[in-house]
Amino acid sequence: MQNIPLILAAPGMTLAKAVMRPDSESRMPICGAGTALTELLIERLDQMGIASVLVEGHPVLIEGEKTPEAEIKALDHRFRQVCEDPLMIRLKEIYKDRLIRLSEEWHANEA
Amino acid sequence: MQTKREEINRMVQDVKSLPALPGIVVKLRALAESDAASLQIIARLISSDQILSAKVLKLVNSPFYGFPGRVSTVSNALILLGVNVVKALVLSSSIFDLMEENVVGLWEHSLGAGVAANIITKRLALPDGEEISTAALLHDIGKVIIKIKLKEEAERIRLKVDGGEVSIREAEKEVLDVDHAEIGGWLGKTWCLPEKLIEPIACHHDPVRSVTYADRTAVVHLSDILIKASGFGYSGDDLVPRIQEAAWKKLNLSDHVLREIVDEIEDKLIEVKNFSLEIQSSHEGKV
Repeated sequence: MQNIPLILAAPGMTLAKAVMRPDSESRMPICGAGTALTELLIERLDQMGIASVLVEGHPVLIEGEKTPEAEIKALDHRFRQVCEDPLMIRLKEIYKDRLIRLSEEWHANEA
Repeated sequence: MQTKREEINRMVQDVKSLPALPGIVVKLRALAESDAASLQIIARLISSDQILSAKVLKLVNSPFYGFPGRVSTVSNALILLGVNVVKALVLSSSIFDLMEENVVGLWEHSLGAGVAANIITKRLALPDGEEISTAALLHDIGKVIIKIKLKEEAERIRLKVDGGEVSIREAEKEVLDVDHAEIGGWLGKTWCLPEKLIEPIACHHDPVRSVTYADRTAVVHLSDILIKASGFGYSGDDLVPRIQEAAWKKLNLSDHVLREIVDEIEDKLIEVKNFSLEIQSSHEGKV
C-alpha cells in the first residue's frame, strides 16, 4: 500500500483505504477501500479538497523515496547496538519481513 | 556549589523560566484540582480561549487518538479523554507548539509513540487508553526543555551523538548529569500533572523503576522503541534501545500479537505523516 498525493493518482489504481470527507464532522466516507479510481472520481476528490490517497501496491516512484532495499539497510543500522539480543532480533525480523513484502509489491509493479 | 543536575532541577521548577503558558492555565489548574468544578465549567473556560480550544481539538482529532468520528467540541473532548488528559494537553500546548515548529522530527516521533501506545493498549484491553497515549505523546517533553532552555548543552549533546555510537540519553547524562526522562518527570511535577502521567514519562527508559503505574510505563517504553525501530521521525539518535525484560514480561505479548501490532502501527503512521505534513504546511503558510 502506498500513500500518494492526489495529483499522482491515475485511473486503474485501487484504493487501499476509504477516503473520508475532510469537511464533515462525522467523517462520512466518500468511497470505500477496493474502489478503482477513474478520471471522474479523481476530479471529484480534487474538488472536495482531498490531498492524498492510500492505494494498493506501490504504483508510483516518488522522488527521494527510499527503496525497500535501502530501508532494510537502514533498519539493520538502527538495530546495530542490540543485534545480539534474542528479543530484539525477533523484533527486527518482524520489521524486515514487512519490508520484504513491500519490496515484492514494489518490484511487481516495476514488472 | 550547585551541580548541573540541581541547576536544571531548579530551572524546571521555576514555571516563570519556562516558555510562557497561557494565563488560562492557572485558572484551569485551580479548577481541575477543585472537586466542585464540573466538566461544563472547565469546558466553558477552555472554550473561552479560541486558540487554546483549537489546539486541544487539533490534538484530539489527530490520528493518534483514533476516534472514529470527529470531536468538535471541548465538552466532548473532556468527556472522551477526561479532565487529566485535557489538562495535560492544555499545559503542554505552548511547549508543543515550539516542538511542531522547531523540532519536527521529535514532534513526529512523539505523535508516532502516541499512536503506538493507543494500538497497544487496545490490544491489551488496558483501561484509560487515552491517558496512556497522552503519556506516550509527552514522553520526550524533557528533550524540548533541553533544546529550548539549554541551547549550548543541547549542541554539545548533539555533537556527542553525531560523533560516535552514543545514544542521546547517554550523551545527556554525560553533559547534564541527568537525562530527558527525568527532566520530563520534573516538568510534570511543576505543572502538577497527575502521577499516572508523570511516572511513565520519567521511567520510559527504565520501566523497572516504575512501581505504581508499571503497566502504563511498559506501554510507553515499548511504544518509544517501536517508533525508533520503524525509523519514523527523529528523536535525537538513530539507535533502537533494548526492550527491558521486566517491561516485556509485564506486557506478556506473543510474537504473533507483536507482529500484528507492528503492522497496525505502520499502517497508521502513514496517516500520522500526512497529519504532520499538514501541520508543517500550515506553519509555512503563517510565514
